Amino acid sequence: MALVCRFLNGTRILRKCPKPCGALCLPHGLVAAYCSRSLQKPGATPGNASQQSRPKEGLQEHEQKEVSLDIPSSEEKPGVSFDESIREEVKDHLRRLKDEIVNHWVGPEGRPLHEVLLEQARVVWQFRGKEDLDKWVVTSDKTIGGRSEAFLKMGKNNQSALLYGTLSTEPPKDGESRQSGFCAMISRVRRGSFERKMCYDWSQYNSLYLRVRGDGRPWMVNIREQKEFIQNKDQMYSYFMYTLLFMGSHVCHVYTGQFTECFNCLFLSYNVFFQIPFSKFFFSNKGRIRDAQYKLLLDKISSIGFTLADKVDGPFFLEIDFIGVFTDPAHTEEFAYENSPVLNPRLFK
Amino acid sequence: MKIMLMTIIYTTLIMGTLITLISSHWLLMWIGLEMSMLAIIPILMNKSNPRSTQPATKYSLMQPTASMILLLSIILTMMYSGQWSIFYSNNTTISLILTTSLIMKLGLAPFHFWVTEVTQGTSLLTGMVLLTWQKIAPLSILLQNFPTINQPLILASAVLSTLLGGWGGLNQTQLRKILAYSSIAHMGWMMAVLFYNPSISILNLVIYIMLTISTFSILHTNNNLTTLALSHMWSTSPPTIIIILMNLLSLGGLPPLTGFAPKWITIQEMVKNNNITISIIMTMMALLSLYFYMRLTYSTTLTLFPSTNSSKFKWFFHNNKKMIMLAPLITLSTMLLPMTPLLTTLS
Repeated sequence: MALVCRFLNGTRILRKCPKPCGALCLPHGLVAAYCSRSLQKPGATPGNASQQSRPKEGLQEHEQKEVSLDIPSSEEKPGVSFDESIREEVKDHLRRLKDEIVNHWVGPEGRPLHEVLLEQARVVWQFRGKEDLDKWVVTSDKTIGGRSEAFLKMGKNNQSALLYGTLSTEPPKDGESRQSGFCAMISRVRRGSFERKMCYDWSQYNSLYLRVRGDGRPWMVNIREQKEFIQNKDQMYSYFMYTLLFMGSHVCHVYTGQFTECFNCLFLSYNVFFQIPFSKFFFSNKGRIRDAQYKLLLDKISSIGFTLADKVDGPFFLEIDFIGVFTDPAHTEEFAYENSPVLNPRLFK
Repeated sequence: MKIMLMTIIYTTLIMGTLITLISSHWLLMWIGLEMSMLAIIPILMNKSNPRSTQPATKYSLMQPTASMILLLSIILTMMYSGQWSIFYSNNTTISLILTTSLIMKLGLAPFHFWVTEVTQGTSLLTGMVLLTWQKIAPLSILLQNFPTINQPLILASAVLSTLLGGWGGLNQTQLRKILAYSSIAHMGWMMAVLFYNPSISILNLVIYIMLTISTFSILHTNNNLTTLALSHMWSTSPPTIIIILMNLLSLGGLPPLTGFAPKWITIQEMVKNNNITISIIMTMMALLSLYFYMRLTYSTTLTLFPSTNSSKFKWFFHNNKKMIMLAPLITLSTMLLPMTPLLTTLS
C-alpha cells in the first residue's frame, strides 16, 4: 500500500508544472495535485490560492481558505508518465544520498567539525522566501470539525513569516467533542534520501532563541524528539511563550517571571527576542502534562511547533523572524523540575 | 526488592554468556544467547527517560531475529548430521546461515546500524556492557565453528566493518556513537583473522575489551557525552585528558601503545596466509578510525579548546564515582605492547 502511494506520489503530470508533481486519482474522478514545490501548501495565504474552476451554472465561487487545489482546466489534458517520474524520483534520492555521503566527509550536517564545535548560536529556521514556508505545516481544529482558521504567509519585505487567523472555541457538532479551539504551526520533519527521517543535534546548545512579534496572546512552544515507534508519537516537550506588547526595541529575556520588568512600557507591538532554556521544557504525553518529568534530550530533535489554545475567541497573529538555538553561558540549570516520590514511587525504587 | 531484581538480571546476563561459552550442545548454546539477550533488555531501559524504550526495542528486534536465524541453522545442522553437538560441517547453506546470524549478533557490517542507535540511547555503563560483554558469547560460537563459517562472507563483512566503522565515526560529536563505530571497526579486525588463527581473534577481543572498558570508565567518571564536553575537561580534570589521550590513541592502534599489538599481529597473520590485498585495505581503513581518534585527542588534550569563563571556572564538586579497576586497566591499555611476543606465544 505504501508502495502504491509512493508510486502515485511520483507520478508526473505533463503540463505546465515545472517540477515533478504527484497525482492521486480518487475513485470519483477528482484529481488533487500534490506538488512539492510549485503548488500551494495547506495553510497558504488565501490571496494566492488558485481558484477552482467549476462550471458556472449552479455553483458559487468561493475562495480557498486553507487548502488550495490546483485543478487543471478542461482545455488541458494532462498526461501521466509513471516511468519518467519514478526514474526522476530515484535519481533525486540517489543524488541526495551522494550529497549525504559527501557532507559526512566534510562534517556534521555538511559543516566542518571545528565550526560546529566552536559555534555558540545557530539559526535553524528563518523566513526569507516562500521556500521557507514549505518547511512548515499549519493546522487548526478544522481537522476535527472546529471553526478556527490559520494561515501562514510571508511578512513584509520577505523578512518574516506571519501566522494569522481566527481562533474559535466553538466545539464541533459531532456529539463527542466538548472542547475545541487550537491553531498550530509545526515544522516538517527533515527528510534525507529515501525519505529517511533526519533529526537535529542541539546538544551543544542550552537555549532556544526566537525573534517574534505577537499580539499579547500566550503561545506554547512544543519540541518533539525523533520517535521510531508509534507508541511514542504523542510525546513532546512544551513551554509557554507569552507574547506581550512592548514599546521600544529593547531585548528582554521573557520566559518566566522576568516579563514583569517590562510592564512599564506602553502597549505597542515590537519584535521581541525570546530565549527559552531547554531545561524549562516540561514533558507531556497525549496533550497531558505528566507527573513524571524528564529532561529534554537534545541529540535527536525532530520538530518544533507553536500552538495557540488560550480559549479566547478572536483573531490572532504571530510574526516570526527566525528560530535558532543558542548557548547561554550564564544558564547552568540542567532541569527545572523534580520528580516526587509520592507521585512517582517507581522512579525512586 | 531492587537489589534482588538487579542481582537476578545481572546473574542471568553472566550465566547466559557462560553457558554459551562452556556448552558443546547447539541448543544449550542458543539458550545461553537468549538468556543474555533477555537479561540485558531491562538494563537497556534506563528509567530516567521516555526515550529509553527505543534502544531496548531496537535491540529486541534485532537480536531475536539473529537468534531465529541461528536456530534455523541449528535445526538444519540437526537434520543434516543427526546430532546436536558442535562439529565442523561442510554444508555451505548451513555455514552461510550460521555466519549471517552471528554477524547480525555481533553488529558487523552490513548489519551494524543498530549498534550506534542502541549505544547512543543508553547510558555509558550500559553501553560498555553492550559493546564488551555481549560480544563474548557470539564470538565464542564463531571461534568454536571457525572452519565451518563462510570465509568469503566473513572477510567481506570484516572489510566492510572496518570501512564503515571508520567512515561512520568521522565527524561525530556524540562520544557513545564514536565508541560504537570503534566497536564495529574492531570487530572487523577480529573477524578478518578468525579463519586463519582464532587465537589472535581472542587476543584482539581481550585487548579491545580492556581498551573499551577503560575508555568508558573515564568518560563515566566525568559524565562526558559529547566531544565538546570532553574538550572542556582541560580546566576541570587535567589527569583525565592525559588518560583520554593515551586511551584513544591506543584504540586507534597507534604504536607504541597496546592497541597497536592486535593490528600488528593480525596483519602479520594475514600476510603469512597470502592475504595481502585485504590486509592493505584494512590498514588503510584503520587510518580513518585513527583520524577521528586523533581529532578527539587534538581538541581534548593537545589544545586548550576555547571556552567561556563559566566552563573554565567551574565549582569542583567531589566525584563520588569510584572506578576500582581504572588504574590497572589504563596501564594495561597503554603499556602492553612490549609484551607482544609473550602474548603471541600464549596463543
